[in-house]
Amino acid sequence: MHILIVEDDEVARDYLAKALREAGHTVDVAGNGLEGLHMASSIAVDLAIVDRMLPKMDGLALVQSLRATGRKMPVLILSALGDVDDRITGLRAGGDDYLTKPYHMAELLARIDALARRGDTGNAEASTKLKLADLELDRMTRRVMRNGKKIELTAREFQLLEFMMRHSGQVVTRTMLLEGVWDYHFDPQTNVIDVHISRLRQAIDKDFDKPLLHTVRGAGYSLREDE
Amino acid sequence: MGPDQRFLGVLDTSPFRIAIVYSIVFAIGAAALIYAVDFAVSRVVDGSTDTLIEAEVQGLREQMLVLSRSDFIELVEQRSQDQDVRGAVYLMVDPQLRPVAGNVPAWPKINSKEKWFLFKVQVPFGDETREHEMRARYLPLAGGYQMLVGHDVQERQDVKSLMMRGLIAAVLLTLLLGLGGGFWMGRRILAQAGAISAVATQIMRGDLSQRLPVRDADDEINTLAREINTMLDKIEQLTLGMRTVLDSAAHDLRTPLNRLQASAEGAMSSLTPGSAERRVLERVTAEVDRMRSTLDALLRIALAETGTVAREQVDLSELVGSVVELYAPVSEERGIVLESSVAPGAQVQGNRQLLAQALANLLDNAIKFTPDGGHIRVALDGSGSAPQVIVEDNGPGIPADKREMVLGRRVRLDEARNFPGSGLGLSLVAAVTKLHGAHLVLDDAGPGLKVSLKF
Repeated sequence: MHILIVEDDEVARDYLAKALREAGHTVDVAGNGLEGLHMASSIAVDLAIVDRMLPKMDGLALVQSLRATGRKMPVLILSALGDVDDRITGLRAGGDDYLTKPYHMAELLARIDALARRGDTGNAEASTKLKLADLELDRMTRRVMRNGKKIELTAREFQLLEFMMRHSGQVVTRTMLLEGVWDYHFDPQTNVIDVHISRLRQAIDKDFDKPLLHTVRGAGYSLREDE
Repeated sequence: MGPDQRFLGVLDTSPFRIAIVYSIVFAIGAAALIYAVDFAVSRVVDGSTDTLIEAEVQGLREQMLVLSRSDFIELVEQRSQDQDVRGAVYLMVDPQLRPVAGNVPAWPKINSKEKWFLFKVQVPFGDETREHEMRARYLPLAGGYQMLVGHDVQERQDVKSLMMRGLIAAVLLTLLLGLGGGFWMGRRILAQAGAISAVATQIMRGDLSQRLPVRDADDEINTLAREINTMLDKIEQLTLGMRTVLDSAAHDLRTPLNRLQASAEGAMSSLTPGSAERRVLERVTAEVDRMRSTLDALLRIALAETGTVAREQVDLSELVGSVVELYAPVSEERGIVLESSVAPGAQVQGNRQLLAQALANLLDNAIKFTPDGGHIRVALDGSGSAPQVIVEDNGPGIPADKREMVLGRRVRLDEARNFPGSGLGLSLVAAVTKLHGAHLVLDDAGPGLKVSLKF
């Protein structure tokens, strides 16, 4: 994937570029807003990571200009500001996701992955049935079956599984779950998400040979079929 | 406000009260005036009537000395018939009180010791008779005969009572106009004050761009509104300044933390897991995490305190339910019974994220400090716009003398030092509560802590 990083902080930018290259992406960097806008408009970029406060042109203005000129690539906004409302203004300006500094690289990589695959999962978004190996989820009837056996889930467990199935094969972090399933944008301190996940795991994996819900150390969880 | 309340509200306004006071003063003045007019009119009119009667009596006395009784009777009879003297009345009676002359049919019941008296006589009035009041002078005659000489004063009485009725009607009308005017002015003031307090409520809710309505007039209310608006301009500038300071503080702290995190993670990736160097860097990133969560909490508290956060209609019932549901599995793992009763339909104007975090902090605290197998109760009472959230645990609680203190910044009681956390949880709850114009009350749950959020 071709990723453009627009970030004025050199230390953060270099590490980010290095980590993305290691993850197998092609990376271009820009140190200010104008340069970033120029590059995003001239190069075929698949995804942009834009710092919110940039010299020459503000990050939000950059995203707005991109959207105004019809560029639809996913944009992740990095911010060193407060939060709460800043997140909303960032998304309103045309950003697809919003991450506050300091962040863990694993968190950023997981989010980039999710953004990149958002286009692919367009069909899954619309379809009422999600399927992974022998696990099936029907959004209409709100029924979950594994290997032909009905699995009883609470409403929240159902939502959690639906989110995981939409992102199957990807790493999903705790904050992504908290945002995506609960719509909460804060760190709950306690391991509340882990406990919810372990309940879901009990429900879908316990009575079956092959586990589908995996813990990714230092990052989060992943729902996938192990080879 | 319903119509009844609006009506009662007007009765409480100062213009209406002033109108009542003035109406009472005016009524007392008017009563004095009526009394004075009555007194003066009586004196003038009675005086002239009395002079007339006195002169007549004087004339009769003189005639009495020169005329025989029969001639005198004839004279009295003559005078009684005389139409020139309108309203004059005479009556002469013999010792048996039988009328011998005059135009009054019968001797009235009078106390003969009094010189002047009033009596009533039926007077023909068209086809009917009407009772007229007469004022008369008593005159004893020789040989046990008596007579009275008087005058019809009914007309005078009529004029007086007509005047009185007119005066009383005028006073009542004035009172009514006074009260009506007071009511009208009260309503006007109430409408102006209502517009001002509606805007003030919005401003207190954090919308600092709102200004009081000012009309193109120089009355007291408009002058006051203009001055308050100038004050609001200053407050807005100050608050925006605070927000700018907060943003740059956030930026200047998050940027180096981010570099630190990036450098540590970058260095870590080339080290073998489990090596001493890697363990040091893992500690560094763990510390960065802690600093970040403290910074997040401090910034959110400061943000809540500036009041410059977006607000929307928040379904508090849904939110309380969802936070309880988020923490239910954690408490269950610890064997804690998490009991909740959430009244549906409670709505508040506020920031959903901050409210959610405040509620999460309360539950997080409750679970942290409640022993395994303990009991936590979450309740949302009341509905509409004045709901109350209660989070109650049976942990150690907070001593009464320290309850005020824990709401301040960074206070951790000694008993809590061995529990994880930034120590800002309750401070954030306090700031968020204040932002929403709610009251935060810490109480003894006997044993345990009872936290109430009253919106």
